[in-house]
Amino acid sequence: MKKAIILGTVLGAMSLPATAQELTLWSHWADQQAKVEFVESAARAFEEANPGVTIDITWYQKEPLYAALKTALTAGQGPDIFYAETDQTEYMANGLVLDLSDKLNWDAIEPWAQDVWGWEGGVYGFPLEAWTVETYVNQAMLDEMGIDMPVSGAEGQAFVEAVSKIADAGATPMAQGVGDRPYPGAFLTHEILVKKLGADDYESLLRGDGVEWTDPRVRAGLEYAKSIIDAGAFPASFSSIKLGEAHRYFHTQPGAAMLQMGSFYPSRAFAAPDEGGEPDSFELGIVNGPIPPDAACPTCKTIAVGGSFVVNAGSDNTDLAAQFLNSMATPEMGNKWLEANLVQTGIVADPSAIEGENAAYFQKLAAANEGAEYTYGIPVQQMTGTARETFTQVINQAFPAGLIGVDEVIDMMAEAY
Amino acid sequence: MAVPKDMNVPAIKVAKVPPSGERDDHANPRSAIAMFLLPALLVYAAFTALPVARTLYNSTHLVVPNRPPEWVGFTHYIELWTDTIFWKAVWNTLTWAAVAPILEVSVATLLALALYAKVPFSRFLRVAWFTPVLMSYVVVGILWMWIYNYDWGALNTMLRAVGLGDWASPWLGHPDTALPSLIAVTTWMWTGFNMVVILAAMSSLPTEVLEAAELDNCGWFGKLWFVILPLIRPTLLNLVVLSFIGKMKIFDLVWVTTQGNPLWATETVSTYVYKRAFQWSTFDLGYPSTIAVIWFFIVMAGVLGLTLLFRQREKLEY
Repeated sequence: MKKAIILGTVLGAMSLPATAQELTLWSHWADQQAKVEFVESAARAFEEANPGVTIDITWYQKEPLYAALKTALTAGQGPDIFYAETDQTEYMANGLVLDLSDKLNWDAIEPWAQDVWGWEGGVYGFPLEAWTVETYVNQAMLDEMGIDMPVSGAEGQAFVEAVSKIADAGATPMAQGVGDRPYPGAFLTHEILVKKLGADDYESLLRGDGVEWTDPRVRAGLEYAKSIIDAGAFPASFSSIKLGEAHRYFHTQPGAAMLQMGSFYPSRAFAAPDEGGEPDSFELGIVNGPIPPDAACPTCKTIAVGGSFVVNAGSDNTDLAAQFLNSMATPEMGNKWLEANLVQTGIVADPSAIEGENAAYFQKLAAANEGAEYTYGIPVQQMTGTARETFTQVINQAFPAGLIGVDEVIDMMAEAY
Repeated sequence: MAVPKDMNVPAIKVAKVPPSGERDDHANPRSAIAMFLLPALLVYAAFTALPVARTLYNSTHLVVPNRPPEWVGFTHYIELWTDTIFWKAVWNTLTWAAVAPILEVSVATLLALALYAKVPFSRFLRVAWFTPVLMSYVVVGILWMWIYNYDWGALNTMLRAVGLGDWASPWLGHPDTALPSLIAVTTWMWTGFNMVVILAAMSSLPTEVLEAAELDNCGWFGKLWFVILPLIRPTLLNLVVLSFIGKMKIFDLVWVTTQGNPLWATETVSTYVYKRAFQWSTFDLGYPSTIAVIWFFIVMAGVLGLTLLFRQREKLEY
């Protein structure tokens, strides 16, 4: 009898609902304070609204995070929620992340952001960060040289001549660098090709399932890009300049006329000048990239979903994890993200509601995106395997660095599929 | 010395022979040997033998989460045969492993000779030349990225200062110069270590042999060529083999500086394995394991080849 009571007590205790639950979250952005603060404040608010729930967040740099996740997930472990980007289809392919189709408040998510995270009928990511590819210009330098760069983008030879004029004046036309990223050097070629082919054909080219690299339109686009490169578009130290250094090169030292960059530009450039931000007197403009002759879609440009959160399919707390993500999926949180991070988001938000010192920036950004037709994701987010690696080495680095010509690009890319 | 009174009786009393089981414990202590070896063997089995066996197993399987490993036979090996990036990485690594040991050991020998000859400031120079090896590859990589910077790096600044501005180059950004530039970095880094080892070998040479050579009117170069170098030959060869193995595995420096760029000019087998394992949008560990297996055999063949090549048939005696 006594044993039965003890057993009953133990079993009863085991069947009690847990009073404390811990959600674990691993994320990139360890060095991006505004994003850390946004997610941390959302976590604290969720904890307050759900007594007994704690959210333990570990912040990483991107590469160590990916390596840690790969090891943990392969071992059937890992956090409840983790950072992911849209190119990481291996998570979906291996059933490692939860289909959020019926778990998130999709009314508060932009439809295009939902599409980007779609995979075989499911939707897998909460698209927190989004960005467009923009051409930032040093307005004072362009004015001084008498160069007019329309917001809709300079067409054909006009852009080549502008680059030549800047280079002849001893300045650097475009402050790109590929020292630590697989994509900034490809922005020029990428944006030219998307305009030249149109979004659908360009995506087909990247996927290798229709349009080929030997297509005459691709060659014409590459030759146009080559004419800009040969006009001296990029600095000689292009190969070693890192992303942060490219920002500083553009707005401070030695200064450049343009910088093609994701619209996450302000996250670095709007820091205080003594912390690597723009000088107070800097006149920033935003325009679209060069439009190649006979472009199929002159208004096409890229929007990419960046940092997102996914839910571990093996988690014991999937519903709670989805609830936490939903707590961020509100227009108020969308606007809070915009104000804090100065970069777009997949959450429905209203940039025109932004007031204060950054309102002018958002107006310029909106003007540069007026009437734009988007392709979703930069090439390294749309490609995988050998094609991605070849694109990184060839289009991101060797081609813009002037190490190879159009024929080599076509041969190497065609062989990569 | 104790002298037995009776020569037929041993001076020392022989202990009584124990039963066979007890005798094994003392005369042939296999269990004690096993006890001493067991921890090391367990560590070896867990962290070396098992991973090696698992890598061999993975190389013939498709290994992804949430599914049992799928036997794919030699598919990965066949794919590897036509993988141009892999063969480029093999070529780069072999070039590095062939060139760097020769440079490191040659320069180190010259530096050790300078110190052996007691050049001025030899104590300071010994520390200064040895210092680079105390730094990690990460620190060394960042340091040399600054030195090689096109715009403001020390190398190009010096070239411009002496009127050789045309030679200024993005050293790590051009396929022709990137790998030689990195080989120069490892040479700079490891020469000091080799120098110290060679200096130690020189310092332990028998003075009578050197004095005998001097008595025979052997000149400085003759003494070096016919006496010193043959005597320290085993040390030099060991350093060459160690350097060879180190370069066959090189990863950190490349990852910090170029990540295999430009156009795979600095891709090494280790960086390629990492890319395939962690950056290829796949969880499959089979293909990277195949690369590791093939590379293991290539490294082993290289070490055996060097050992055979440098085998000394006649042992020097002095």
